[in-house]
Amino acid sequence: MQCMGRNDHETIKAVLEGDKEAYGALVMRHSHSLFRVAFRITGNEFDAEDVVQEAFLRGYQKLENFESRSKFGTWIYRIAVRCALDRIAGRQMDDSSRVAEEADPEQEQVQLADTAAGPDRLLLSGEIGALQELALRSLTATERAAFVLRHTEDCTSEEIGAALGILPNAAKQAVFRAVRKLRGRLAPLRAMR
Amino acid sequence: MKHLSEEELIEQYYGEGAARFGEHLEACAECAEAYDALQSDLDELKFAPPPARGAVYGERVWQSIAPSLHAFEARRRSWLGIGLWRGLSYASVCALLVAGAFLAGRLSVPKQAATTAGNNPPQAPEHAAQPQRRIVVVVLSDHLDRSERLLVELKHADAGSEEMVSPLRDEARSLLAANRICRQNAAKIDDPALAAALDRLDHLLDELANQPGGLNRETITRLQEEMNADGLLFQVRVLRSRIPEQQAVSAAQSKEGTI
Repeated sequence: MQCMGRNDHETIKAVLEGDKEAYGALVMRHSHSLFRVAFRITGNEFDAEDVVQEAFLRGYQKLENFESRSKFGTWIYRIAVRCALDRIAGRQMDDSSRVAEEADPEQEQVQLADTAAGPDRLLLSGEIGALQELALRSLTATERAAFVLRHTEDCTSEEIGAALGILPNAAKQAVFRAVRKLRGRLAPLRAMR
Repeated sequence: MKHLSEEELIEQYYGEGAARFGEHLEACAECAEAYDALQSDLDELKFAPPPARGAVYGERVWQSIAPSLHAFEARRRSWLGIGLWRGLSYASVCALLVAGAFLAGRLSVPKQAATTAGNNPPQAPEHAAQPQRRIVVVVLSDHLDRSERLLVELKHADAGSEEMVSPLRDEARSLLAANRICRQNAAKIDDPALAAALDRLDHLLDELANQPGGLNRETITRLQEEMNADGLLFQVRVLRSRIPEQQAVSAAQSKEGTI
């Protein structure tokens, strides 16, 4: 493709001048990083793929508002984070098996009957990751997204706030709440160390 | 000595703590112990790496969204170029219609005076068409909503589970008739994107609903692959996202019609 050698800003200029195909170069350049963050936030491969498509579609629709002083990679990344956030928020609303906020962690295996092996079995089979995923599911959508961005993507509170459309302090509070809940739910692991 | 709060310890862990936090941790054994526990807990939290995407993943994403995008220049040209001429044409036609209506009104006044006061004039056909248009948009919205849910279920369906497959088939049968009505309407209003997506949806619903011998594991797997290859779920979502816009247009036209 002709636009493969261009940088992002030149490519965007070409797209806005009518070269729709040039947008393909941006999609190909940034798909993998978007998939990575989408997967980490949604925790699901299929949802992550949908999020990537939706983010690029929304990005195209808003491309005329893109400010040339920004980085396209950062801009589309934020769109993907919002899409992922919408996705898990919608999923939590639909998910009838979702654990109640104040549920006793020891009872999770009963409430999450479809995915739940008991903690003992999980530990014995080395599936600590599955227990961590259960703990992550107990977070609200914003808490989960904020925590993932902080913990795995090394984003600052300002970056998390910008990505989630909230103030940096609110982003920081979301991370605090997430860490507190996760530590509470993963306390059994601490005893096994 | 004032100890560090858990929030301050978390800030410190993620490298956003104030300089005094570090100094305090060196001086206070209690806070240092709490920090070690936090560090240990958070270090344990390692998530599975995202599944690898092939080298052609970006290309695949592009192929799935490209048909839904319109070139910017084409839009602008249509607005400035075609739109200008079209606008002038509409203005001319409107002027002719107004002039015609005025003349017709002048000529028909004596006749109208002769008619009885109880005779109501027939309603203009455009007025009658407005509620119908709104109903079509609502029906389409509902249909796309249900179709999206069916496609999501199909996408995640366990092909071997009869409990899963049977409701899918029943829902597909129920959607098939509505889909045909929506297709006819899409053809009438000349919306090729909608018509194409509904055609693909029709094919899929037909296979789900009327598969000879019922749905088996192979058929479900094949349909899942076809659906993913076509990007059908994504297309349905795009079409759904256009509905609020269509509802707004329909409402605006309806308002104009009642003035």
